[in-house]
Amino acid sequence: MRVILKTRPRKKPHVPIEAEGIIPQNFLRKNDLSVYEGNRERHLEDLFFVTVEGPAVSPDQVEVILTGDTGRIKRVGEYMNAGRIIIEGDIGMHCGNFMSAGEIIVRGNADAWLGREMRGGRILCEGNAGDYCGAGYRGEKRGMRGGTVEVMGNAGDFVAEYLSGGEVIVHGDCGDLPGVEMRGGTLVIGGNCSRPCGNMTGGTCMVLGDPGELLPSFRRNGSTEAEFGGKKFRMAVFRGDVANRGKGTLLVREDLKSSRP
Amino acid sequence: MRIEDVVCPFCGCLCDDLVVSVEGTKVLSVENGCTLATEKFTGDHRLAHPIRRTGGSWEKTTYDVAIRETAEILLDAERPLLYGWSGTFVEAQTIGVHLAELLGAVIDNTSTVCHGPSIMAIQEVGHPGCTLGQVKNRADVIVYWGANPIEAHPRHMSRYTTFADGFFVKSAFRDRKVIVVDIRETDSSEIADEFVKVTPGGDYAVLSALRMIVRGKGELVPEKVSGVTREQLFRVANICLSARFGAIFFGLGLTMSRGKYKNIRNAIELTEELNRHTKFTISPMRGHWNVYGSNEVFTWITGYPYAVDFSRGIAFYNPGETTSVDILRRKECDACLVVASDPGAHFPRACAGHLASIPTVQIDPHVNATTHLSRIQIPVAVTGIDAEGTAYRMDGVPIRTRQLFSTDYPDDVAVLGRIYSLVKEAKG
Amino acid sequence: MTQGILIKNAYVIDPLSGIRGEVMDIAIRDGRIVEEAPPGSQVIDAGGCLTLPGGIDSHSHVCGTKVNFGRYMSPEDMRAGRTSRKGVMHVTSGYSVPTTFGNSYRYSTMGYTTVLEGAMAPLEARHTHEEFTATPHQDMLANTLFDGNWSVMEAVRDKDVKRAAAIVAWTLAAVRGFAIKLTNPGGTEAWGWGKDVANIHDPVPHFEVTPAEIISTMIQANEILRLPHSVHLHCNNLGVPGNFRTTLETMDLAPPAQGNRQTLYLTHVQFHSYGGTTWRDISSKSEDIARSLNSKPQVVIDMGQIMFGRTTTMTADGPMEFKLYMLHHNKWSNHDVELETGSGIIPVYYSRKSLVNCVMWAIGLELALLAKNPWQCLLSTDNPNGAPFVKYPEIIALLMSRRMRENERKEIDPRTEHYVPLFALERELDWYDIAVMTRAGQAKALGITRIGKGFLSPGAQADVAIYPLKPDQLDPSVDYQQVMAGFSRTLYTIKRGRVVARDGDVVVEGANSTIWTRSRVPPGYDMGSDPEFTKKFDQYYTVRLRNYPVQDVYLPRGVCIETEAAL
Repeated sequence: MRVILKTRPRKKPHVPIEAEGIIPQNFLRKNDLSVYEGNRERHLEDLFFVTVEGPAVSPDQVEVILTGDTGRIKRVGEYMNAGRIIIEGDIGMHCGNFMSAGEIIVRGNADAWLGREMRGGRILCEGNAGDYCGAGYRGEKRGMRGGTVEVMGNAGDFVAEYLSGGEVIVHGDCGDLPGVEMRGGTLVIGGNCSRPCGNMTGGTCMVLGDPGELLPSFRRNGSTEAEFGGKKFRMAVFRGDVANRGKGTLLVREDLKSSRP
Repeated sequence: MRIEDVVCPFCGCLCDDLVVSVEGTKVLSVENGCTLATEKFTGDHRLAHPIRRTGGSWEKTTYDVAIRETAEILLDAERPLLYGWSGTFVEAQTIGVHLAELLGAVIDNTSTVCHGPSIMAIQEVGHPGCTLGQVKNRADVIVYWGANPIEAHPRHMSRYTTFADGFFVKSAFRDRKVIVVDIRETDSSEIADEFVKVTPGGDYAVLSALRMIVRGKGELVPEKVSGVTREQLFRVANICLSARFGAIFFGLGLTMSRGKYKNIRNAIELTEELNRHTKFTISPMRGHWNVYGSNEVFTWITGYPYAVDFSRGIAFYNPGETTSVDILRRKECDACLVVASDPGAHFPRACAGHLASIPTVQIDPHVNATTHLSRIQIPVAVTGIDAEGTAYRMDGVPIRTRQLFSTDYPDDVAVLGRIYSLVKEAKG
Repeated sequence: MTQGILIKNAYVIDPLSGIRGEVMDIAIRDGRIVEEAPPGSQVIDAGGCLTLPGGIDSHSHVCGTKVNFGRYMSPEDMRAGRTSRKGVMHVTSGYSVPTTFGNSYRYSTMGYTTVLEGAMAPLEARHTHEEFTATPHQDMLANTLFDGNWSVMEAVRDKDVKRAAAIVAWTLAAVRGFAIKLTNPGGTEAWGWGKDVANIHDPVPHFEVTPAEIISTMIQANEILRLPHSVHLHCNNLGVPGNFRTTLETMDLAPPAQGNRQTLYLTHVQFHSYGGTTWRDISSKSEDIARSLNSKPQVVIDMGQIMFGRTTTMTADGPMEFKLYMLHHNKWSNHDVELETGSGIIPVYYSRKSLVNCVMWAIGLELALLAKNPWQCLLSTDNPNGAPFVKYPEIIALLMSRRMRENERKEIDPRTEHYVPLFALERELDWYDIAVMTRAGQAKALGITRIGKGFLSPGAQADVAIYPLKPDQLDPSVDYQQVMAGFSRTLYTIKRGRVVARDGDVVVEGANSTIWTRSRVPPGYDMGSDPEFTKKFDQYYTVRLRNYPVQDVYLPRGVCIETEAAL
């Protein structure tokens, strides 16, 4: 089954829409989905032109396609556990919250908290991701726990904060403090960033671009070789964050760690 | 008439020992207060009556009309924002939260542009703090980090720290060591025993280095960290470790510089580490006199100290998403009620621009920068002068402000109460 | 306006009136229980369902500085229990530290109409009272902290009991407090230097008084003031393996009762009944504690039961919270209050896989099963320290059903049975015991029967809970699931003669009272004009004496219990 949701023009296009109902399994049964525009409850049809093609007997046979002005739609794919969502353009915050299986593809940019507290499945963002990509929620001790988030462009600050499991791959640059409070899982940064892995206690982070200044609280622990994008790199290995009794691993390129304080 | 033990409604110190002389509805003099206090009590730029904008100009209107129009604006909105709250008393803040709940609005206070990051850090690692008297009576080491109390909290040092004699610290000035950490020299750094000058944005690394030294991993600290020598880092760590009671106070220099809440988190974790060796506490230097009250009220009613979004009926909180600056920058809100604060003066230009483009109503005694962005302004009595109610000091101590005289102005509770009633009636 | 309710066919257990299970009618008029309901009264047919006086919690943390800080620091807890606005009900958030309305609605739908806040720092009393107002469906009382009070310790050092009493009288009246609370007496002052006291004879730094001296003096002061409640004590060494010795020594400090009520109330005793020397060999010493309790009618305790799952611990016992933080390493807040006390907060998770937690769980139940007299062991979790109060129905079911305990035995660490006597205990509490342990016992121990709390005979306050439980058709030993469900949600909760909750929903805006005590002292004992007291106040507090007392405006419906001090 293929469900196409095309946004209708809105009077106040900046008011955010919350649409946690948009997950494949909800389209199996033809029921009335609610979405919220600001503080108003709306029918799905009030905000989208809905087209359904073909049948499906289980959620993994459902593909949802969002098109139009989708950059303000939040929480798409929340608790998704099967099937596929394709967003033709940009997507709003919290796409794929708590997702446990299935696939989300964002052709444009994703706003903050992409894959927040994700458990499993795969998210591919072809454009840039905002802050807190693959991160957690305020006050919780564990962020993303499983699955894969892959961003082809850049990502913002605090990428993979509290990462506890799974894999976050950013091909471009990250902002400040990627992998901060990280405790498990893997974070790969293809480009540059600053101050990676502050306060980390576990997990592995690899930075293939310029990591900027490293924090003073990492202990050098030999070298290793790593592969990324079909190329091999000589990597310096650091352990830390020592300030936090951490046992995480941070790999930075031997040839690019010049700004070590 | 001389009124004693007056509470000052200016900064988070909430000094309660002022002596104010009044005659009728005029303040003649203020004793014991700092210059900021005197200015607050004697200043006189109050709006005489409600005003509303028609076309390009202001016209005088009545409380009835202004309040009814405000209720209508809020009821019409799909994403109303109720912002401010730090300059009014708890009882008014309470009505504000219930109004937000009823409207499905976002309610936020000025923490959003000051100590919001401190709150986020506390939500990650907690807060080892104390009341200010604990510092006054016991502390032999004081650290001001990214704060300049002499300018922003003029009596903080004389009432609670550097110059305040206490039970166990008989001669404060002699017995107390003061460390100031900042990116530049300030009035406060001049009286410090130790001034630590950090390169801008380097606080996080300095805090990490101090944590390492305190936990015995100092051998890893490089020669210089963010402009601070290894030698000075060890000296500072040793002063802290040999304190009987140490108290860190931090300001916007730490909350609003690069890394924001992670800086505060690091400072809190340093404090925690120090507690394994001696006694240490850490406290934010809260700005507005009752910003902490708004955090308290928001918390006991909604569970969250600021940035609460009721649009889905339940309370949702996520700084970065539900914070006023972010909402305005994304042009999300379609109406705004500003109470007891001045976002026109303190918010980024783009945010102020959006406020001017939507129906914004201000409830405030004074004409200020936000007036120019508003459609309606409703003047009210000034808490601590012609209105009274509860305020929370920066350390959480609740004090009731005093009304010095009465005027014809309604207070915030009266105005907000009427808006609430109209909204409730409309909502059925 | 006369408002009346007639509850027909109620299966009433009213221990204070000597009613042990009788089907009868209850008449209500103007907020009181009366002989006959006025004409035109609302009639409620209880249909033989269990009808009890409104529940009373004699030790819970629901309002005030540290509770609110527990909320403030825990957005993760807030999202665990969120409800929207519904009818008259406000939005609520939170599971272990719910918002004030969340606490109030949940208590109300469980039939609770009176709650004592376990710890109020006098300096921050105004905050507690503000939150009391926002907890509208329960009448509230505030235990007032004196454990590290400098003036009190100086009076103790000078062996001046009368001065200690005068300081208590002044403070309780100033802050609208209800009773004397001592939390780790002396320990909270030592914590001002990052230290603690090791036992009840370990002197407090600088003040040179011992916890035992503080406790004994305060018991005497309490009786001099003729306060309705006794000293309410959180013993030293909470949560420390081997602490049962401290607890037994402390119980020995309680003098024989003169009248009808205890001279010492020990709270959350589960946390104080540990044998062993480290966390590795911790064991239950509930039998030793219960033996002492059974021989001392002058002592009343509450359980402080823990239940498995996540919660937030919060107490004035600052040093204990730091020790606990070093074990859990999650997050830690601390808040010392000048000249008075301290406090600490950390989140915890009690796990069935942790032997220590399983032993703790067993101890609480054992205390209740081993205490011969239910009036001496009241049901509590030290909410939310042992568990949020919404777990009370489950605790009731465990106490009433050995079968349920056996089922739980299969789920917990199998080594537990070697460290605890629980599974050898056959006793199953009955409905009467539960009625005592959840309301009548509290009313008596707090001394609030005098204002009509905790019973249902004419003259009492019309606080009534009707549960969907038919005692003559249920065997709690077997039907423990029904017992649990029944105590979770009343059919009707009536407070001061008004139906406030029905079938799990709160149906009216609340209007509670705050109950406080004032002890009249001769003018010579009025601390407000005592030169030394006021001088020290001016020198060392950061708030002016005149700005310290809580104004009447904070107690819109205050109820003052006045006593005549024997000074």
